Amino acid sequence: MSATEAAPRLESRGNSRSATWMVVPALVLLIGFFALPYLTIITMSLREASTRAVYGDGFTLAHYTTALGDFYIWGILGRTLLIGATVTVISLLLGYPVAYHLAKSRSRWTSLLYIFVLSPLLVGLVVRTFAWMIILSNNGVANQALKAAGLIDFPLQLMNNWLGVTIALTHVFLPFIILPLLGNLQAISPDLAMASRSLGASRMRTFWKVTLPLSMPGIQAGTILVFVLSISAYVTPAMLGGTGGRTMSVLVVQYLVDNFRWPAGAALAIIMAAVAVIFVGLYLRLTARAMRRLP
Amino acid sequence: MTALTIDRINKRYGNLHILKDISIPIAQGEFVSLLGPSGCGKTTTLRCIAGFERPDDGRILFGNRDVTRALPEQRDIGMVFQSYALFPHMTVAENLSFGLEVRKVSVPDRQRRIADVLAMVRLEGYDKRYPRELSGGQQQRVALARALVIEPSVLLLDEPLANLDATLRDEMRFFIRDLQQRVGITSIYVTHDQAEAMVMSDKIVVMSAGAISQFGSPREIYERPASQSVAGFIGRSNTISGRIAEALGPDSYKVDTPCGSIGTTGPAGLAKGAEVKIMIRPENIDTRREGAGRPTSEGKAGADENVLAGSVVNSVYQGSANQLAVKLASGDRVIVDVSGRNPLDIGEQVALRFAARDSWVLAS
Repeated sequence: MSATEAAPRLESRGNSRSATWMVVPALVLLIGFFALPYLTIITMSLREASTRAVYGDGFTLAHYTTALGDFYIWGILGRTLLIGATVTVISLLLGYPVAYHLAKSRSRWTSLLYIFVLSPLLVGLVVRTFAWMIILSNNGVANQALKAAGLIDFPLQLMNNWLGVTIALTHVFLPFIILPLLGNLQAISPDLAMASRSLGASRMRTFWKVTLPLSMPGIQAGTILVFVLSISAYVTPAMLGGTGGRTMSVLVVQYLVDNFRWPAGAALAIIMAAVAVIFVGLYLRLTARAMRRLP
Repeated sequence: MTALTIDRINKRYGNLHILKDISIPIAQGEFVSLLGPSGCGKTTTLRCIAGFERPDDGRILFGNRDVTRALPEQRDIGMVFQSYALFPHMTVAENLSFGLEVRKVSVPDRQRRIADVLAMVRLEGYDKRYPRELSGGQQQRVALARALVIEPSVLLLDEPLANLDATLRDEMRFFIRDLQQRVGITSIYVTHDQAEAMVMSDKIVVMSAGAISQFGSPREIYERPASQSVAGFIGRSNTISGRIAEALGPDSYKVDTPCGSIGTTGPAGLAKGAEVKIMIRPENIDTRREGAGRPTSEGKAGADENVLAGSVVNSVYQGSANQLAVKLASGDRVIVDVSGRNPLDIGEQVALRFAARDSWVLAS
């Protein structure tokens, strides 16, 4: 024991120095393509508006105060968060059983199911969204089928609102909750469920008392990923959302590209990022409490 | 406390016949080991008893209750795993409480039984700890306590000591055996370690390739193995090939071998002329220098003593004894133990003596 513990220590100085160098490429990338652009956006959001250039000379907080006093923006912010939360909850409800099955299954068809799970990521974003338009539009596949079945007389409004965005986002982001959950569930020894059942607990009780609490880290990682990706998605809400399903990212792009209001758009982007950080932070604290007993 | 009957169970996965007609009668309070190499079907048998596998046919009875089709949670078993399988998100007390909560035991009763069982496994004061804060041996004692606190009909143990280091394993063997005897619970113990099975069990089931090779007490299995594979799996053994020359009694024979004729005991009913192997355990052979002590008379079967001549070809110092390899006139090699104080050198001529009752015929 002591020999194996002592051995790495001998080289630890040399190792730590070379380890420092190993983070440099990633650090350069992060600073160059993440921190610096963010700083630029923050600076831009504090600039005065200008009609002749991208932004004026002076500094002001006006873009923030205007945005925060605008009920229209509050509404869109609320809708964005609501879509994010809905997509997250539905993905969890749909993804957990799939991950659970993949983790337990020893069938040869499992690899096929893997490909199936990953399939949304194998098709380009725009192509996939067009496919959803074909399915969800008023004359689309879904409405035609429902009409043919005699279930409806008039087409249902399936897109150009929050519903279409939610459906399409759930489809794309499902793998992002299944994969972390799968890794987590696979790491839970099957002996634990057997021990629980040997002690008299039913399958249901075993799930609630043993498997579910132990899969909290996977649930946490997966839900945060899906939530963050959903609220920041652009292409899907832009193509499927219409005006009724407009989200913050769509609004930001509209400010920047259509209205040429760069400082105000930058302020909206920063507000959105801050709200996301606050929500994820609160969520982390909440879930950390559920996980405090895990090793 | 319940007797356990396993009655002709079979299990197949596709073309693989995993369990072949396994029948094991286990008396109330008995400690029975399922012993065999990996893949012999011992774990599958245990899982059939636990209810995690369902046999294709045959029956499993707890007392008079047929549990063949019952779910694991309906069987009233206690199970201990090689991996301990303690719930990592629960304290020791919560782990112990788990089965009692399912059984709707009242809170004061729960607390009393948890305290009792912790005392039994000598872990008083550890109730607030998490499993990760305990050593391997302590975790396995908690696992044992968790299985026992529900007072199950049978206790099932699946290689519970395989993850522990050698010293602790020796200690735990006696600990588990002692606990089992105090509680008096019918227990099935799966292991691939023959020494473990020998010291712990009332009965041993030796399994190989999905079938039972032998079922009997440790003494029967060690001294009267049913086949060469059992003899080879349990302890060290020497074999000499030969042919039955004549039956000297119901269980004693004279066997002709390339080293001369040997008097031996064996199972009843072997026919004259049958090809057999004679098994002799190394510790039952008395080895001396040629010419020392009594005169040698090679290959002459005495009333109950045999003498074989050979030369030492290898010697390994093992502390308590020297293990020698002796080459017989027939070319067979025999392993013997000699006292460390009386070393014999390689190349020396030796006489090997063993009693007829210490050798046993293995039918081919």
